[in-house]
Amino acid sequence: MSASGKPDDNPCQPRHFKPNLCAPAPAEGPARDSLETSHARIVVAAALFCLAFLVIAARLVEVIGFQHGETRLAHLHPVDKIARGRGDILDRNGVLLATTLDTPSLYANPKQVPNPRQTTADLARMIPDLDAKEIYAKLTSDKSFVWIKRQLTPREELEVNRLGVPGLQFEREERRVYPKGNLLAHVTGFTGIDGKGLSGVERGLDDTLRLGQTEILSIDSRLQFILHDEIQRQMDQFSAIGGMGIVMDVRTGEVLALESLPDFDPNNPGAAPRDAVFNRVTLGTYEMGSTFKIFNTAMVLESGVANLASKFDATNPIQIGRYTIHDDHPQRRWLTVPEVFQYSSNIGAAKMALAAGIDRQEDFLGRLGLLRAPKFELPEIGAPLVPSHWATVNLMTIAFGHGMSVSPLQMATGVSAVVNGGKLYPPTLVKHDAANMPVGQQVMSAEISAQMRKLLRLVVTSGTGKFAEAQGYVVGGKTGTAEKVSGHHYDTKELLSSFIGVFPINDPRYLVMISIDEPHGNHASYGFATGGWAAAPGVGHVVERMAPLVGIHPVDENSSEIKQALTIDAPAPEGRKLAAE
Amino acid sequence: MIRLGSVLWMFLAGLSGYAMFQVKYEVAQLDDQLVRIHRETAANQESIHVLRAEWAFLTQPKRLDDLSKRYLALSPIGTAKLGALDATPMRAVKSDPEVTPMQGPTPPTKPAPARLAELSSQVQP
Repeated sequence: MSASGKPDDNPCQPRHFKPNLCAPAPAEGPARDSLETSHARIVVAAALFCLAFLVIAARLVEVIGFQHGETRLAHLHPVDKIARGRGDILDRNGVLLATTLDTPSLYANPKQVPNPRQTTADLARMIPDLDAKEIYAKLTSDKSFVWIKRQLTPREELEVNRLGVPGLQFEREERRVYPKGNLLAHVTGFTGIDGKGLSGVERGLDDTLRLGQTEILSIDSRLQFILHDEIQRQMDQFSAIGGMGIVMDVRTGEVLALESLPDFDPNNPGAAPRDAVFNRVTLGTYEMGSTFKIFNTAMVLESGVANLASKFDATNPIQIGRYTIHDDHPQRRWLTVPEVFQYSSNIGAAKMALAAGIDRQEDFLGRLGLLRAPKFELPEIGAPLVPSHWATVNLMTIAFGHGMSVSPLQMATGVSAVVNGGKLYPPTLVKHDAANMPVGQQVMSAEISAQMRKLLRLVVTSGTGKFAEAQGYVVGGKTGTAEKVSGHHYDTKELLSSFIGVFPINDPRYLVMISIDEPHGNHASYGFATGGWAAAPGVGHVVERMAPLVGIHPVDENSSEIKQALTIDAPAPEGRKLAAE
Repeated sequence: MIRLGSVLWMFLAGLSGYAMFQVKYEVAQLDDQLVRIHRETAANQESIHVLRAEWAFLTQPKRLDDLSKRYLALSPIGTAKLGALDATPMRAVKSDPEVTPMQGPTPPTKPAPARLAELSSQVQP
């Protein structure tokens, strides 16, 4: 930058001359000093700039040449999970039951479509269910927006895109999809056009689903299918108008399967008849008939007014007011408590209830949660129909399951408590996590529960429920055949035939309940349509099919351990006890 | 005459200018790539979601039941065929004279090639 010290080319130039743009006159003294200073400053500044450029250059060389590997920039903007409006619903094994799909809908701006005739032909070829005439009319109209088809399949979308016709556009629309179709219609329920839950879990858990949270249900869709299959079979066999069933884990109150037939397709709920949308298991309340004797017997034993050896007179029908209570399988003699249960004697049950009294009955049924609507994840919950004034006639009819209506869900919950050692678990449709198991509420003693298990086994081995036996799985249960109320009287032809089974009854795990609505006897059943004929075989089949899936091993029913656990102690012979005296 | 220093500096300036544009283009390219990958990821997530729904649809128990009945010779396992491993008897030890080993299929008395030859000779007329 500086020329000082170098010989100049111009010989005429004095040797001491230095060109100075600011001051053409040669400076002397202090001026010269200040010139020197500013010169030095320029040199320093230039050196600093050079240094800065060198640094930049070095950094550039480094960035281009030497920096490899992942930069962290990519992680600064993570890919957001696609925000999907509504949460999925899964079953306990992670099977998808309900989800939301973004589906494209095709619309057109007719003013931009260059060749409507050709485009119509192309569209009609790709999307078979389109009406060519209608499309042509739409494409030649003078509007600027016409729907061609709502909710295309991915393949149709691809083909339309491939056409490349200007003026054809897609609009994304959300749609709730239930891939399992009818199978879980009453559990999942459905949503409205605006994505709001209208029934089932969709409505019951609407708040969390709406936040996009995935809900894992206690349902096992495999067991659901088995239950569906067997109920349908019994319905067909007995030409019934409806059927319902439930599979429950008696140790947690989790509902593993819940079926109400007829059912409907939640993908198209508008097409479903009212009857099909009605959830018989949770919303319907029924006089359950003899299955209620489970509660009656447990109540009497728990109250201590009778034990397994007590006898009740079932010789003659009871006349009370304008009702007559008689037996379907009359024995016409004094019956022990196990015999009342085994032969399902209405007279015996009524006498047992009389011995215990109204207060004890009301208290016991209340403790089992049968007097008020249960809390459940479904909004379709029926409140029980309980006598407003609990009179003696109510006491006696409720003993064998008439004069009081409960939902099958309440029935299953109550029976679970009776067999599982006396702990009541509220029913639930949401899977419990292993770390957070529910604590049951003790509603009856464990000893009486053990006695009830023996009685339930007796019904299947040598009572009215023989058809519920599933070899190796030690089923215990109770039949029930209720006459349906039509108008103000009971109709002897319109029945609700039920069976509640529990297996393995020596160490209860699962409850299976099936009710058949208005079964009609057939040739194979010798005209019978009672619980033992119409419902019990279904329960037996369900147990046989589900046990391997839930990991329950078959056992030998005749092994001494099982026999000792389930045989009712033989009463000591009458007369004096020899050893005691 | 342009001095050596100036040449050097001009060269460096040119070089850094070139390098800067080079980096700029590279970054722009990477940015495009990132956007594309994001879009692809989103599309793939969407596809996975649709495929999951499709899978759930295709594995409807009713459909599997029908397919199994139509194409497979499978039937539910009877209770009699189920048992715990502990319940199976121990295999008999040969040296134990008290226990007779279980009767398996009798082994062929002749070596396999000989048997084959025999069989083929039987087939010919």
